[in-house]
Amino acid sequence: MEAVLHNPETWRPGRGKVGMASLIAMESFFFAGFIVAYLFYIGKSAVGPYPREVLELKPVLWNSAALISSSFTVIAAVRGLARGRMGAMRVWLLATILLGGWFLWGTWLEWRTLIWDRGLTIRTNLFGTTFYSLVGFHAFHVTVGLLALALFWVLALLGRLKPARDTLRFELVSWYWHFVDVVWIFVFTSVYIVGMRA
Amino acid sequence: MSGGPPERLEMPYLRGIPLPTSGPLWAGFGVTMVFAGLVTHWMVSLVGAVSAVAGFLAWGLACFPEESLEELPKGSEAIDAAPQLARKSNAERLVLPAEMHPYGSGVRGGLIGGVAMAVAAVAWGVLREGSVWLPINLLAGVFLPSVDAEDVQTLKTFQGGVFAIACGIHLVASVFIGLLYTVTLPMMPRRPLLMGGVLGPVLWTGILYATVGVVNPALERFISWPWFFVSQVAFGLVCGVVVSRSRRIRTMVNWSVTERLGLERSEGGGR
Amino acid sequence: MSTLHASPHAVSPERGVLERLHAWAITVDHKKLGVMYIVAGLVFFVVAGLEATAMRLQLIKPLNDLLTPQGFNQMFTMHGTTMVFLVGMPILLGVGNYLVPLMIGARDMAFPRLNAFGFWLFIFGALLLYFSWIAGDGLYGAGGAPDVGWFAYSPLTSRTFSRGNSTDYWILGIMVSGFGSMTTAINFMATILCMRCPGMTLMRMPLLVWMMLVVAVLVLTAIPVLTAAQVMLLLDRTLGAHFFDPQQQGSTVLWQHLFWFFGHPEVYILILPPFGFISEIVPVFSRKVIFGYALMVAATVGIGFISLGVWAHHMFVVGLPPWLNALFAASTFLISVPTGIKIFNWLGTMWGGRIRFASPMLFASGFLGMFLIGGLTGIMLAVVPFTHQLSDSYFVVGHFHYVLFGGTVFAIFGAIAFWFPKVTGRMMSERLNAWSFWILLIGFNLVFLPMHFSGMLGMPRRIYTYQPGRGFELWNLISTIGVPVQIVGVGLFVCSMVRALVKGPVAGNDPWDAWTLEWATTSPPPEHNFDRIPVCTSARPLWDRKNPQDPDCNYE
Repeated sequence: MEAVLHNPETWRPGRGKVGMASLIAMESFFFAGFIVAYLFYIGKSAVGPYPREVLELKPVLWNSAALISSSFTVIAAVRGLARGRMGAMRVWLLATILLGGWFLWGTWLEWRTLIWDRGLTIRTNLFGTTFYSLVGFHAFHVTVGLLALALFWVLALLGRLKPARDTLRFELVSWYWHFVDVVWIFVFTSVYIVGMRA
Repeated sequence: MSGGPPERLEMPYLRGIPLPTSGPLWAGFGVTMVFAGLVTHWMVSLVGAVSAVAGFLAWGLACFPEESLEELPKGSEAIDAAPQLARKSNAERLVLPAEMHPYGSGVRGGLIGGVAMAVAAVAWGVLREGSVWLPINLLAGVFLPSVDAEDVQTLKTFQGGVFAIACGIHLVASVFIGLLYTVTLPMMPRRPLLMGGVLGPVLWTGILYATVGVVNPALERFISWPWFFVSQVAFGLVCGVVVSRSRRIRTMVNWSVTERLGLERSEGGGR
Repeated sequence: MSTLHASPHAVSPERGVLERLHAWAITVDHKKLGVMYIVAGLVFFVVAGLEATAMRLQLIKPLNDLLTPQGFNQMFTMHGTTMVFLVGMPILLGVGNYLVPLMIGARDMAFPRLNAFGFWLFIFGALLLYFSWIAGDGLYGAGGAPDVGWFAYSPLTSRTFSRGNSTDYWILGIMVSGFGSMTTAINFMATILCMRCPGMTLMRMPLLVWMMLVVAVLVLTAIPVLTAAQVMLLLDRTLGAHFFDPQQQGSTVLWQHLFWFFGHPEVYILILPPFGFISEIVPVFSRKVIFGYALMVAATVGIGFISLGVWAHHMFVVGLPPWLNALFAASTFLISVPTGIKIFNWLGTMWGGRIRFASPMLFASGFLGMFLIGGLTGIMLAVVPFTHQLSDSYFVVGHFHYVLFGGTVFAIFGAIAFWFPKVTGRMMSERLNAWSFWILLIGFNLVFLPMHFSGMLGMPRRIYTYQPGRGFELWNLISTIGVPVQIVGVGLFVCSMVRALVKGPVAGNDPWDAWTLEWATTSPPPEHNFDRIPVCTSARPLWDRKNPQDPDCNYE
């Protein structure tokens, strides 16, 4: 054993954490492609409607607030599971899911107004093309995250979760949820702040 | 978030290896079919979705609540006994190059060889072309593109800036090759002087002969290849003699840090 | 955290064909998956080779009419796409899949089921792409296989110019197999970082494992961008979006930027694992430790970083601003430095070694020479005015075939010759392999060396024919003559493999007297790789076991 002891290195990162971090890095590059396309095409639409004519900041701010705060509730849910307080975990997880659902519902309302009242579709112009694809793919990722969270909520209701065994798994799902939130900050900045000038 | 002690060495398959499952196959098939439906028929996507859901479900059941493993024979979780290894060996390990000439001899050889080369080149200029300055101006032409465009008469006159650049090139290149010789000559098989003094110039002249016409045809018009070769050999031989006359020293590649710092001295090391 | 089941194989070792197929279909064993990757890749290698043969036959003489213009376009599109996505990546990921856990002393990949999922995504994506030969016509009666080139430049890929569904099949097939590559890359990251056996520090990992780690990073950064670009194109084609639609101010150059941001790292995804193969083969057959291990690692990581910043050298003729071209030319020159370091390190390893030219070493030497030529023409192409002259000519085709065939494929053959005994337990025939190598080397140079000349004479790539009297005839004739020679070379190698499977001599655990952990277990390895968890004492753990009186760990 002496040679090994020369180099007393026995620690390794957990495979779940490395895997989830890699997945998040990969997804970041996927979104980077769409964000680059959005920024590249700001102000280049051949015809209207243009962002500042049709986008409304106020409802989106409420949506964003819901999504950002869901990051904090999911932290509380993870902490609940880690400490074995299943009741707290279920409540905070439900709050997270509801906040995420609120965000999706808000996006739907915004899209409904844009499509049917203001005549902006994905085929209208470059703004429509880049807006719906970027926001749409983010909403898709929110949906996937919500499904994962809902799965854990059902398992929690059924009493199938064990703190010692499942905390890490749940924490990894919460990483994904945080990632979805952070991406939204970038999307929001690109679409509703930088892009509004055009 | 969930603090606590850092994870210990994670070795998931100590007592068992993962059981086969058809979940990934159905999931992969399903995902592909979902996309294939975009270019065929929505029914394809539907079948794909069903297959994907079934596959992911089977996959999930293989991992939850606990990963299902195929049990390994007893004792397979043990970590192999490390071999008994000698702490420090007396056997020398050869790291090449084991020896080299001191850098100082390289600088000296480069400078003296450079003088020899200059003498040969100027001899060509005086004897064949009737001008000391032509070889010097041509050397600067390696660096200055404008020189190639000049006619021969201009090239045979003294130009201050061009002269300075030619001297600079000559000096740097000579010293650089001299330093190279300190390392390469000891590595040459048997007769270092033959290799460094003759074979090196032959190869270098050959490479230039083959390429200058392509790289810089304007310059190539002026070059007299036999004389070029003579000047190269002059450099190679003189530099090689000067370098190889110096005493070889062992390289420090094999030395430990303490030895390099002079805190300790190994048997073979030191000048 | 696990439930243990009794071994299902203990019951009936003798099983029928169907049962055995079923066992392969549901397997999550990294070794079986690796073998399936490699076999599938070799099958597609033959398919892509046939496509290339059709092209070479068409170009054997001027104004030939063996293929229609559109048929020719389909051939080069499918050849390029197949070679990159369905041959190079699966074989390299497959060899990595097989070897990485063995080399780091693990019992499997970090996520075995995800590993299987990745393989099936690759294989079904590949089948979806090839299904386009049947169904690519769509409702328009135009198309068949994709015919837009492997990099599918817009606006050629818009609905207007590419009717039918062929381009959609290209998008979807590559996208799905790309998902597979990405899941595999995640798996490599977790496996290499988390599953190393005790004592296997990062700086003791075999160089192939280091290369696979960097490749995984590149896959995770490059492929998602390709997926994003393909999704945009798909939205353009199906929902009428305008990403790459110039009539609505969409930019065709954006596609090129996104594609090549993927495309150039992809080149290094295809060459770094071969670098790894060579770094394993050369020391063993030179009987020396690898020269400059730490520098090799640094060069690999350096290549990984720089390769993310060179993509626009594929776009020198697009009309980017001169300062941008200069920047990308400079970064391209820069990447040749770590690559050169590697070549010198391999030569430094061979220098003064007791070299044994067994067949893996033959292929490795072939790799060194051929890849060097490809690398040098690559540096030529990094010169912007040079590219202005020769972009999209056969010179470029010659260049990248020296890199990807002379480099990657030679290294793959060398790797197969090297690890075949480990995978199957049987030795390949050294004589057949040597014949295969020399014939392949001659055939390869016959086919691809003349392309440099026809390219410099001005022959553009991707044309289905050419006019007589322009000096192209001889070079094209020689190129085509080389094809059957190559086919014989590859055929001999296949024969050697089949022969070894049928009646090859038994290999034993360690036929080459090598030093990495995969040779410590039986050939083929048991399903759990190692009966006990191995311990790593240095970068050459088996050297230490064989020479306990003079172990490597004293020199680290």
